[in-house]
Amino acid sequence: MFDGILQGFQVAFSWEAIMFVFLGVLLGTIIGMIPGLGPISAIAIMIPITYGMDPTIALVMMAGVYYGSMYGGSTSSILLNAPGVAGTVAASFDGYPMAQQGKAGKALAISAIASFVGGTVSVILLMLFAPMLASVAILFGPPEYFALMLLGLTAIASLSEGSTIKALISAVLGFMIVTIGIDSQTGTSRFTFGSVNLLDGIDFLIIALGVFALAEVCFLILNRKQKMKGLSNIGSLKLSKQDIKEMKGPLTRQSFLGFILGVLPGAGATISSFVAYISEKKLAKNPDEFGKGSIKGLTGPETANNAATSGAFVPLLSLGIPGSGTTAVMLGAFLVLGVQPGPLLMTENPTVFWGVIASMYIGNIFLLILNLPLIPYFVKILKVPRPLLISLVIVSSLVGVYAVSFSTFDLYLLVIFGILGYLMRIFAFPAAPFILAFILGGMMEQALRQSLTISGGSWSIFYTSPLTMFLFIIMIIALVVPAWRDRIRRKKEEAKVKKY
Amino acid sequence: MKISVNKGLSIVLIIIAAGYLIMAYQLPEYIFVPVDADLVPKLLGYALLILSIFFFFSKDIDTDEQKAKRVIPKNDFFILLGILAMILLYITVLEVIGFVIMTALFIIASSRFLGYKNWTVLLLTSLLFAGSAYSLFNYGLAIRLPAGILPF
Repeated sequence: MFDGILQGFQVAFSWEAIMFVFLGVLLGTIIGMIPGLGPISAIAIMIPITYGMDPTIALVMMAGVYYGSMYGGSTSSILLNAPGVAGTVAASFDGYPMAQQGKAGKALAISAIASFVGGTVSVILLMLFAPMLASVAILFGPPEYFALMLLGLTAIASLSEGSTIKALISAVLGFMIVTIGIDSQTGTSRFTFGSVNLLDGIDFLIIALGVFALAEVCFLILNRKQKMKGLSNIGSLKLSKQDIKEMKGPLTRQSFLGFILGVLPGAGATISSFVAYISEKKLAKNPDEFGKGSIKGLTGPETANNAATSGAFVPLLSLGIPGSGTTAVMLGAFLVLGVQPGPLLMTENPTVFWGVIASMYIGNIFLLILNLPLIPYFVKILKVPRPLLISLVIVSSLVGVYAVSFSTFDLYLLVIFGILGYLMRIFAFPAAPFILAFILGGMMEQALRQSLTISGGSWSIFYTSPLTMFLFIIMIIALVVPAWRDRIRRKKEEAKVKKY
Repeated sequence: MKISVNKGLSIVLIIIAAGYLIMAYQLPEYIFVPVDADLVPKLLGYALLILSIFFFFSKDIDTDEQKAKRVIPKNDFFILLGILAMILLYITVLEVIGFVIMTALFIIASSRFLGYKNWTVLLLTSLLFAGSAYSLFNYGLAIRLPAGILPF
């Protein structure tokens, strides 16, 4: 393992990796800052640029795009109260009031330091836990993998914002899209409607850019006249000793908590940042300050969401199973580059495994270096005229898809999925379970069919293994508990309405 | 009788599930294959059908926020349609006219359509973006984007 770590650091400290980590973090921060465009769109837009690159360097850059865009999202949350991604919503609770009080620079500095600490601590934890999980996962067979993927899918569906049933429908629809094309095991063409263009199935980039980037463009068009207030003067970036003292507690606590929540399927940056905000408020001596520009209220979520970002790499690298929509797109990026994450990655391709992890240390340092002195310049990006920005995002999406397939048919499909993504948003169907199911669908079908082939067609294979049973029980709990909690909350609300 | 938005959606989903199931049952089955290609589609079709029926009878409340998201002013609706038409035109003639010309034209036309007025910035941005993207893909990444009527 130590040889692997050493190899990883050798890759991470090569001039090529340093340059591309820098580029990834920079571009991720810029894209993430644009209100509406989150890490999923950022990664999807960047994928075509990685074609032909060395997979390790390309993935190192993509990881930089991922955590760079998380930080960029915080900037628009703090300055405009317009989070680009759900994971940075909690940052606006205290960050935006601070900005309104003329302390935007201070809020951005806190966010940069919190992101750095959360990110760095969780990379250390990632180094410890990913190999451990990989060594356990090596014992998994197809039934365990199927159960694990189903658990990931149900967890993200039940923990998604809004209705669980809509999230589950979204997941099933995403899975259905994967069944289009030639079945790899029997050669049967499924749901292709006689079209040659559909025989290879639908590329994941079409889904990622359509359902996320193009759908967001529709909202950017609708909100194109929104004025960017509060960008003229961000104030001083300096933090006092008292400020740093206040940050210490949340930095320590939320680095660990954020990491743990990031590892769990379905939880990720959004839940960890909200949990961080709530737990810091409960622990605070003056909880009334929360929501009015509290340093703890900003440090907590900012530490946690970045810690969760690295935490999410644990199941992705060691199991090959993404736990969120963003890591699902990351998995897509891995697969496009010909790298299959999973328990064997560490032994078969240690350069990629450890290179990506080791690069995160450098990436977090770049994030800090880039964001502290350059904050005033980054803020100018938010002033880019919306019409111009919208046109560039549309063209980038179209080029991205064309560069994969060289087919205008796929561009029409991109438009169709853009419209679908927009409809999903306005009818409140979460898009994360859709993309996760799309990415996992092929692997899930393969695992299910392999399991049934092993058992000679008997479904008993899924309930005779204790581990599979355990995973199914957790899955049922993950589904039932939130639904039961929603039911109780709804009943309480109904009772309140009746009372008045 | 007026039905709620969610009930309407669930009916659409039930129709999709039914259509998908009908197609899934038409998939060929092979004697010597232990698990056929129709297994997962059938499971998914039934899953969507059951979930949609649950959705029909569920008390999923349509919030004010959701309702507000669905209300698009007439003017904005036509702007969305206009951009969609431009995208479709771009796709249709991309391979004939070429990437550089079409991309620059698209950026100029869509930005103007959305209300951007500074011609100098617009011309510079569109030409720079189209030219640099074309160079990056064609010469840097060896991915041939359509040259169209341009000789290079």
